[in-house]
Amino acid sequence: MSGRWEPIVMQVWDTVVTPCDCCGQVVARRQWVVDVDGEERRFCGPDCEQLYRSYVVPARAAETATG
Amino acid sequence: MTTAVDAQQPLDPVLLTIVNNSFVNICREMGVTMTRTAFSPIFNEGLDFSCVLFDRELNMIGQAEFCPAQLAASIFIVRWTVEELGIDSFEPGDVVLHNDPYRGGAHIPEHSVIRPVFYDGELWGFVANVGHLAEIGGKAVGSFAADATEVFQEGLRIPPVKLVKGDQNVMDVWRLIMANHRTPRNTWGDLNAQVGSLRVAEKRLVELLDRYGPELLTRASKELMDYSERWMRAEISAIPDGTYEFSDRMEDDGVVREPVNLKVRVTVDGDRLIVDWTGTDRQVRGPINATYGVTAGAVYNAIFHVTESNIPKNSGAYRPIDVIAPPGTVVNVQYPGPSVGGNTETHPKLADMVIGALGQVLPDKVAAAEGATCCNFLFGGTHPKTGEYFANYHLEGGGWGAKSYDDGNDATIVKNGNCRNTPVEVFETRFPLITAEYSLIEDSGGAGRMRGGLGTRRVMRIAEGAEITVSALLDRTQPEFKPWGLEQGGSGGNAAILVKRAGESEFRTFPEAFGTASASKFTNIRLVAGDEVLLDSPGGGGYGDPRERDRDAVRRDVAEGLVSPQAAREIYGLADSLGQGPRNRLEELALGARSSRMEVQR
Repeated sequence: MSGRWEPIVMQVWDTVVTPCDCCGQVVARRQWVVDVDGEERRFCGPDCEQLYRSYVVPARAAETATG
Repeated sequence: MTTAVDAQQPLDPVLLTIVNNSFVNICREMGVTMTRTAFSPIFNEGLDFSCVLFDRELNMIGQAEFCPAQLAASIFIVRWTVEELGIDSFEPGDVVLHNDPYRGGAHIPEHSVIRPVFYDGELWGFVANVGHLAEIGGKAVGSFAADATEVFQEGLRIPPVKLVKGDQNVMDVWRLIMANHRTPRNTWGDLNAQVGSLRVAEKRLVELLDRYGPELLTRASKELMDYSERWMRAEISAIPDGTYEFSDRMEDDGVVREPVNLKVRVTVDGDRLIVDWTGTDRQVRGPINATYGVTAGAVYNAIFHVTESNIPKNSGAYRPIDVIAPPGTVVNVQYPGPSVGGNTETHPKLADMVIGALGQVLPDKVAAAEGATCCNFLFGGTHPKTGEYFANYHLEGGGWGAKSYDDGNDATIVKNGNCRNTPVEVFETRFPLITAEYSLIEDSGGAGRMRGGLGTRRVMRIAEGAEITVSALLDRTQPEFKPWGLEQGGSGGNAAILVKRAGESEFRTFPEAFGTASASKFTNIRLVAGDEVLLDSPGGGGYGDPRERDRDAVRRDVAEGLVSPQAAREIYGLADSLGQGPRNRLEELALGARSSRMEVQR
């Protein structure tokens, strides 16, 4: 894992929550930020990064390949 | 006095069973407190609430037989709330309230109250109650705006705030809520019932801590979760590895009259499951979007339907299951999208889809589709006898899908609800609506070797002197959106909501009578004394070829008015009986009972 934890700072007027780029769950106080193929991704934690790399990326690639 | 155990040895299974049952019983006692003290029928009759226990690490350690959608959502609600507020912000006697659908909630009417439990000055865990308040403001009476396009129209949205501090009500917060609900006295009673149930749970948990001590109880909780995880992994391992897909549609979103497409891909990989909703439509304008909590809850609900029922229901059982719900889609609504119908209409379809996908390899463990709509019917007005404003959220049971070994349940609330039908007597006592008919709908259960459960018909007449504003949010009302059958089983019957104005002789659709955009989803229609509303719930899908159904079972169905003689002949193949040719004794009884029943109905 190559990510880093970053805090999520919410102001009182911030009523929008941050979803995980892999599973879609809310990331409440801190997010696991990772560079994946040159793009910054924000996850709940290292487990979701692992799921993203092992399942989501191959699944999307297979979908693209099959049209 | 506490129990002494060897720290090196696994805990005695008997002790673990006692602890697990104690957690379940605490939740059940919370439920009894709710039903006895709440003001609204949705709680003391409908049971639309759930009670849950959590440890200090925010793992769910206990629940009981409540609403599966709320039970699953509570996992996220409690964890995210405590993380957002910070665990150190909780003091003894505090109660945090929130109903934010974007923070784990199932939909905005569901209000969660969360209380920390301290023992010897140390935080040990949390107790929580998730309940559907019947009226929370917004554009529609009953807070189910079927044509809402953003959350602000759905009611008062409350982020996590302290409703009680140190066992003292924070009255500024209470007043703010009361000012935004149409029936504030009910809100006061219902929220206090929820808060009261937390006090009961705290008392019982402290008694348990007195008995076993905090270290042992924590250890028992962890071992129970590990046990649940092992059991669930073993159940998943028994499913053949592979990827299984399923698709379904909803008829419209209440705002745009176009079908909404849902898609799931279930991957079984050894002892883990990945349930991926990628490919589902982007979130829609109307309120059938589901929150993450709803979608995850539908997945867990479905998995529990196809695995051993005795697995202790705690966070351990959920560990082997990954849910992927892309943000901004119908299965993971983002701010400010509306979502009130996602919990009632979308959830049961999502659960059925996971079951349908796994049915490809577990045909004997799955059921055909259920009605999959709560037939949400909302109404409010001033009661002519008391002069007081009333509002109510009513949901209706429909037919469940048949399984390979049994018929589907009749008139049962959707599988995500586990709620009860409100009795006619309570309905008429509390509200100025007279029930003209409440019956099972003949032939609404999908035909099959095992028959789908039947939907119901309820006809309600507005009482003398009353004027009522009604709203509705249903699905499955169009012929091409019927609950599907399995293995050659037939589809279940459709849902419907119709109106007959006073003095008219025929029921009509709401678009015909009032020009609403959708026949199944509309808001704030004014009805007057003598008007009648007909509410049909759908039937469940059938399982297997109807011509293979046991012949005596078909005859009994005819006798009881569940299947018509015509369907018995034409669909079930009972061609030589019930009106044609020689009859046996059971057929004679069937026809006799049937004609008596019809006589009574007239």
